[in-house]
Formats: sequence, C-alpha cells, structure tokens
Amino acid sequence: MIDNAVETYLLNKIYFSSFGKKKVNALNELNLSVKKGTIFGLLGPNGAGKTTLIKILLGITFPTSGTASILGEDISNFHVKQLVGYLPENHKYPAYLTGESVLYFFGRLSGLAGVQLKKRSEELLNLVKLSEWKKTKVKNYSKGMMQRLGLAQALLNDPELLFLDEPTDGVDPIGRKEIRDILIELKNRGKTIFLNSHLLSEVELITDRVGILNKGKLLREGNVKELTERKEEYKIRFGDESINLLNPEMLARFSLIKINDDYYSLRLNSGEEVNKIIDGLRAEGISIKEFVQQKNTLEDMFISLIKESELEQK
Amino acid sequence: MNNIFIITWFTLREAFSRKVFLFFFAISTFLLLLLFISSTGNVKIFIGTNSSGSNFSSDFFVSKLELGMTSILAWWCIILSIFSTSSFIPIMLEKGNIDLLLSKPVSREQLLLGKYFGGLLVVFLNIAYIVLGIWLIISIKFAMWNFAFLWAIVFFTFSFGILYSIIILSGVITKSSILGMMLAFLVYTILSPAVYFLYNNLDLIGVSNSIKILVKIFYYIIPQTSVIDNYLLNNLVLGLPVVSYQPIYVSLGFIILTMGIALSIFKKKDF
Repeated sequence: MIDNAVETYLLNKIYFSSFGKKKVNALNELNLSVKKGTIFGLLGPNGAGKTTLIKILLGITFPTSGTASILGEDISNFHVKQLVGYLPENHKYPAYLTGESVLYFFGRLSGLAGVQLKKRSEELLNLVKLSEWKKTKVKNYSKGMMQRLGLAQALLNDPELLFLDEPTDGVDPIGRKEIRDILIELKNRGKTIFLNSHLLSEVELITDRVGILNKGKLLREGNVKELTERKEEYKIRFGDESINLLNPEMLARFSLIKINDDYYSLRLNSGEEVNKIIDGLRAEGISIKEFVQQKNTLEDMFISLIKESELEQK
Repeated sequence: MNNIFIITWFTLREAFSRKVFLFFFAISTFLLLLLFISSTGNVKIFIGTNSSGSNFSSDFFVSKLELGMTSILAWWCIILSIFSTSSFIPIMLEKGNIDLLLSKPVSREQLLLGKYFGGLLVVFLNIAYIVLGIWLIISIKFAMWNFAFLWAIVFFTFSFGILYSIIILSGVITKSSILGMMLAFLVYTILSPAVYFLYNNLDLIGVSNSIKILVKIFYYIIPQTSVIDNYLLNNLVLGLPVVSYQPIYVSLGFIILTMGIALSIFKKKDF
C-alpha cells in the first residue's frame, strides 16, 4: 500500500537560455511528499517553480536530475495519468469545440467512451453549472466559464490525484465557494488534491498541508496551524471589572500591551512563563476571560518567509 | 491505436472548422457542376494520329482530360492544404493546449502521429472528392471507365504526405507555421520540379561532371512530388510502362526520416 500520492527526491530543473549562456534553477533539489487523501497547497511567488513542478510530475516538462513518482509509479510511465486529472493555468481549448465536445474529446483521451462518457460529461456539466451552455462554442465562454469547464475536464476520469493550477482564477466569489466545496467533497471521497494558488486565504481554508516554494527551493512545509502559529505571543481579554484595576505599573510588570479597549497582548520568552503570568494576574485580583495564542494569517507568514529567503540569498 | 484515431478524428474536425477547406469544397463543387453541365452537351471524340504520327484512342483522350482537370484542382488542393494544415502543430503546441494533451494518458508519439494522419485524411477526402467527381462525370459521359485514374487519389495524397512531414518537423522545432509553410511550398513548387527537370535534361544542359553528380545526389535526396504527380501518375493512368518506382521509395524514406526526427525532438521537448 502506497501512502504518498506524490513523491520527489532531489528534483532539479534547470532552464537554459537559447544560447545556453544564462541558466535558471526552476527547481533546486526538491524533496516533497504528499499523502494520499489530503489537499496539499503549494504556495510561492511568480517564478517560484510551482507550475514547473506540476509539469514535471505530469511529464510535460522533463527534470534535469532527480526522481519523482505519482501514485507509486515513476513519472515516465504515462499510463498512470489515467488516474490523474489536471487543470492548467490559462488552459486553452480548440475554439471550434463546444463545452460538450471538449469533454468528449478529453474524455476519450482519458480512456472513457460511450454511455459512460456521456453520463459522466452530463454529471460534470451539471456540477459546474454549465449544462445550459454545453452547446455553445468555447470561444464564446467567459474566463470563469472556461475555468469551470476546465475543472469538469480535470474530473472526467474520476481521478485519484488532481492537480489544479490556480483553479479559481477569474471565478466570482460564489463560484469560488462552489469550487472549494467540490474539492472538499473530493477529499472526503479519498482523492488527493495538489493545489497551486496565489489566493492564500483560499488555500488556508481547505488545505491539510502547505508547502512554500521560492526560487525552486522548498522553504517550509507543514499544516496551516503549524505554519501560522506565532510562538509565545498571546492575546488576553480581562473581566470588565478587572480592567479598572490594571495600572501602568502592572502593565509594565506583566509585559502587557494594550491593543484596544478589550484586548491586551503579551509576549513571553518561553512557554513556561505563561502559568507564572496567569498566577500573578490572579493574585492581583484580575480575572481573565480569554487567553489565546496569537496566530499569523497564512499571508503574513508567507510574506515574511519570502522576505527572509530573499535577504538570505543577498 | 485508439488515441491516434481520436486525435486524427479531431484534427479532421479542426480542419473542417476552417473556412479555407469550405472554400475549397465550394470551388470544387462549382467546377464539378460546371463540368457536369458542359458534359450534357454533344461532345464528339475524333480518333486519329498525333503530330508524331502515333495513334491515340478515345480512351487516351478521356484519360488525358481527366488527368489535366485533376492536376489543376489537386495542385490547388495541395497548396491550400499546406496553407491550412501548417498551423496544426503550432496550435497544438500552444501553452495551455499542449499541457492538457500531455496530461492525458497519451504518448507523445500518438499525439504527433494522430496530427499527421489527421492532416492526411483531410487532404485525402478533398482530393477523393475531386477525383471521384471528375472520374464519374467523364466516365458516364464517354462510357469509358478507366479505374487506373483513381490512383490519382493515392498519389496526390502521398505527395501531400511528404510536404506535411516537413511542416510537422518545422512546427515541432520552431512552433511556428510560417517556416513549415515556406519549406513545403519551396519543395513542391521549386525544388522538386527543378531537380526533376535537371535530372532528365542533364545531357542537354552543358554542365560540368561535378554539377551532374550534385543533381543526381539531389534527385535521390529531395522528395520527388513532381515525378510522382506527373510522370508516375501519367504513365499508370495512360497505361504506359513505369520504368522505376524509385521516386516512391525515396519519398517514403524521406517521410520516415523526417517524421522520425520530428518524433525524437518532440519526445524530448519541454513544454
């Protein structure tokens, strides 16, 4: 039984300019594993190597060195793609096809045929709310419609592993929510989803694990909670009567900083000091209503991590 | 095999979605109608001797008529097909399109071969429409059924197959349609006829031995669409002896080599 849907080992990709003078390290000794049945979000600024990684995993681009596998099979085995779905960024379909015929074409290439393909296409067109437009040529589709058709195309073969590159690009907020719901539903059915996105707030909402990639290097990987936790920083809310008891001397003694009328922040050197502070405050007769460890948003963490990495490289 | 068939079928659909093929179809139909209308008149064939004193029969005349008409239309068909099919590969290789195709369980060989056969099928259908149309009208009119004339379908399609392999190779390398189109035109309208002419008139042209050797080398390297469409087809249709099928073998070898290079480049290319 294979636990990982995606595995890479020391994966390198170097792009050379036309005359071989300039080279760009799109991926730099990348080691990554994505567990089956999870949603993995890969984040990174433009040019970080996110799309290159997906393209290598799907055999669209070849690695310079290193190895990679999907669903336990080496990426050179194209038959494994029968179990994979992919929605590329800025995908294009032949303009002369209708939404329905796009699904027919890619369905046939995915190994589906006959009644099974027809039924599956109709289900998916319903799911992405394009049934009414199925006879319309795709050249007349809006960006959001193209994106929804792309998702339907990626789901045609009921894939075990789904690669999505900016899936909500150009989709309105309601459509985004619908796409998120579809992805969560797929995860609940045991599917693995590998998501590239710039929309950090969205990634935060649905992913189990997140990787941060910059200039081809994996800077950090973990679950959203681990990555966004701010160590030893807390937010405190006191009982209404207690606020009057707090004086400047007490605030300085307990290292409390007023955020607003309700909340105070507390920064400690180690987690062991937490109990001391709580005991000390209680001894002064101050009641505590709320005591919460502070969190970064994924965006805060992402920006600071990328900045740190840029500084290190300078 | 199934994947090649699907890609071939959709290449055909792509071709027919283009106006150039509809235009060609309309022109062909118009000319066939004209031929049909004019053939309903009272046409008489006089059998006699030509200027060199040899006999020519009504069969010969009918075959010549068929060939003459078909050559003009097929020439147009091939020129238009070069123009139209030259963008098949560049469009397939566009970012966002090729990514999707390669993400499916399809090998790169299947993709390229599917595109090749798709293009061939388009031209085969167009040429078959013209040739069968002309053949039926003239055969009915003169009550002479020269089945050898139907070789024209195979020969013109084969000629296009040579040119299309050049278009595919160029498309894979440059991702552009212009160079492929220019190369195909160059081979079809200049190189092949020129080499054919020079080879057959070497003794009449006062050139050095080294030039003669060079022309002979080119004759065995450059695909010989002119020989196939003219000499070979003429002789087969008119019932004259064919001395050598060498141009077919050279051209077939050229297609295999060109497609082989295109495949090996395509298999290693990053998209």
